[in-house]
Amino acid sequence: MLDRVRRPWSDHSAERLLGAVACLLAVGIILMIVFIVRGAWPTFSHEGLSWLGSGGSPDSQLGAMAYTSSKPPPSAFVVHAWPLIYGTILTAGFAVLFALAISLAASIFIVDFAPPLVRRTMKPIIRLLAAVPGVLYGLVGILVLVPLINKYLVTESEQQSVANVIQLTGGGLGITIVLVTLMITPIMTALITDALESVPRAWREGAIALGLNPLRATLAVSLRAIRPAIIAATGLAAARAIGEAIVVSMVSGGNSFAPNPADGKIFFFEPVETLGSEIVRVAEDLGAPAVHSTLYAFAALLLFSSFALSLSAYLVKLPLRRYQVSS
Amino acid sequence: MSARERLANARSGKLRPAARQSSENVALPIDNLELTADLMSVTPEKADSTTQVAGTAAHGRERLRLDDVSVFYGNTPAVKNVSLSISHGEVLALIGPSGCGKTTLLRTLNRLTELTPNASHSGQILLDGDEIDELVDTDLRSRISMVFQQPNPFPMSIFDNVGFALREQSRRRPRRPELEPLVNQALQRAGLYEEVRGDLGRSALRLSGGQQQRLCIARAIAQKPEILLMDEPCSALDPRSTAVIEDLIGQLSKDLTIVIVTHNLQQARRIADRVAFMYLGDLVEIGETEQIFTAPREQQTREYIAGVFG
Ligand SMILES: Nc1ncnc2c1ncn2[C@@H]1O[C@H](COP(=O)(O)OP(=O)(O)OP(=O)(O)O)[C@@H](O)[C@H]1O
Ligand SMILES: [Mg+2]
Repeated sequence: MLDRVRRPWSDHSAERLLGAVACLLAVGIILMIVFIVRGAWPTFSHEGLSWLGSGGSPDSQLGAMAYTSSKPPPSAFVVHAWPLIYGTILTAGFAVLFALAISLAASIFIVDFAPPLVRRTMKPIIRLLAAVPGVLYGLVGILVLVPLINKYLVTESEQQSVANVIQLTGGGLGITIVLVTLMITPIMTALITDALESVPRAWREGAIALGLNPLRATLAVSLRAIRPAIIAATGLAAARAIGEAIVVSMVSGGNSFAPNPADGKIFFFEPVETLGSEIVRVAEDLGAPAVHSTLYAFAALLLFSSFALSLSAYLVKLPLRRYQVSS
Repeated sequence: MSARERLANARSGKLRPAARQSSENVALPIDNLELTADLMSVTPEKADSTTQVAGTAAHGRERLRLDDVSVFYGNTPAVKNVSLSISHGEVLALIGPSGCGKTTLLRTLNRLTELTPNASHSGQILLDGDEIDELVDTDLRSRISMVFQQPNPFPMSIFDNVGFALREQSRRRPRRPELEPLVNQALQRAGLYEEVRGDLGRSALRLSGGQQQRLCIARAIAQKPEILLMDEPCSALDPRSTAVIEDLIGQLSKDLTIVIVTHNLQQARRIADRVAFMYLGDLVEIGETEQIFTAPREQQTREYIAGVFG
């Protein structure tokens, strides 16, 4: 028996095994989709797609659902999730932009400019950061950063000016963006650093030999060559940012308010809720069928968005492959 | 000085070397790319230089001068006290056994050794009388271009490869129609145009090795350097591609100074005006190609050429 295992596998049986694993994965994903869509079905059948729109506060709509009977009438399913969708786009969008800028700068520095000692220490540190459980960021956020913001950045008069609509507690859009950025930057940096390191030295050296300064050479040749990897890393980070729930629910201010850029500085201190954080916050009311169905609808939207993200990342990458050797 | 002015300087300097340092020639209208295209057509002075027989005196004025140059990696010298001069329009071949410092010397000439963290050099290297360490490095490298041992086309189209330096060096990105004549001209001079003219948008990485190396030559000469450094440009190529590139070197030397490293003695004999033999970092002997091959002065040179070592 052992003998059989030890013997080198024929390509054929390895192929079959890998194929089986891939099929299993595909089946798992399909089952998950079926499960979620089935759970969300009441909301879709009663509300159509109108639940994606705006009108009222999702917090109070979900709150009302919690008290509906176990056989709720169609009217009990009314929800307008736009503030949550907007909050998700806002936090994920800003976080991905910041993370992209930071990780590009960091990778370029690490790979092409840092002295060897710095490079050797930075790489494991970044991998370590990528492995830190997100909830730790949430704890630091809620215990340290939120009180600090409340104390030093938000003034009394600013709190007064919006007191009859929302409470400014220090938690809110700004700190949420900061934490989500912190959570997705290390993995993005690690991926982009790896890609940049795989660029042949001869390309960059060739560009420098043509009279480009080292930074220009990196930008014009190396970074250009790894555009597909940058897009893939961004897509992955975006998917993670969209789905981030626990940390956001810890520091977002706990109110499904739609922050308004016209409010100026306090825009970043206004509370926000994302689809994910709202699911976390309302999960205790899952016993009510209407809440149950609505949260599944949110989950379906999140799932669909991450599929759409990977698909569009893939499509954007396609034309860039043209100049690679193998394609 | 802007990149564009430097480029203007570099190019105009090729034709008016006496005026290089004066500031009035900065005004050359580099915006008019077609004018610069004209500038690169062979001048009578240069055509003359190739009709004359090989030899220092027979060639134009001195371009590059090395005085007592040593290059170190850390504390280990890789090139020791080399002095030589290279004149306009000549082809100088560097030969010598593996590890004798040919690549190191070549990379010192365009200050590419600066990319190696622990490398340093002593002595003087003068380009048209200017100490190269005092020139702006990017400026120097667009005047002294380099072709590497392994073809290293960028992962872009053929057109973008050849137009690369021209695009990156100008402040206002020249558009494709402006670049086209210059790119085509560089491809023609590199002897690649006929083979790729149908599709310049093709990925450069899908060319054959010989084509890739000619593409790299086209890329290196597109911005009209004054000196071309070639580090064993044929070592990865078959005899036919090698012959094509040797022909090309003969053509290019009409208006370029070429320093070429080669392990192929026959090649050195075919293409070089002068040959320098290096051994363990020392410049053992430098002289007219025929003299080096038929009547070497030094015992080591004689043995190397006879195939005793290396
Ligand atoms: N980056 C480096 N760091 C330390 N030593 C180096 C480095 N590059 C080259 N050397 C050393 O310098 C010496 C000269 O190397 P170089 O590459 O110039 O030789 P070469 O004549 O070009 O050899 P080849 O014909 O094999 O290409 C060798 O002893 C080599 O080991
Ligand atoms: Mg070498």
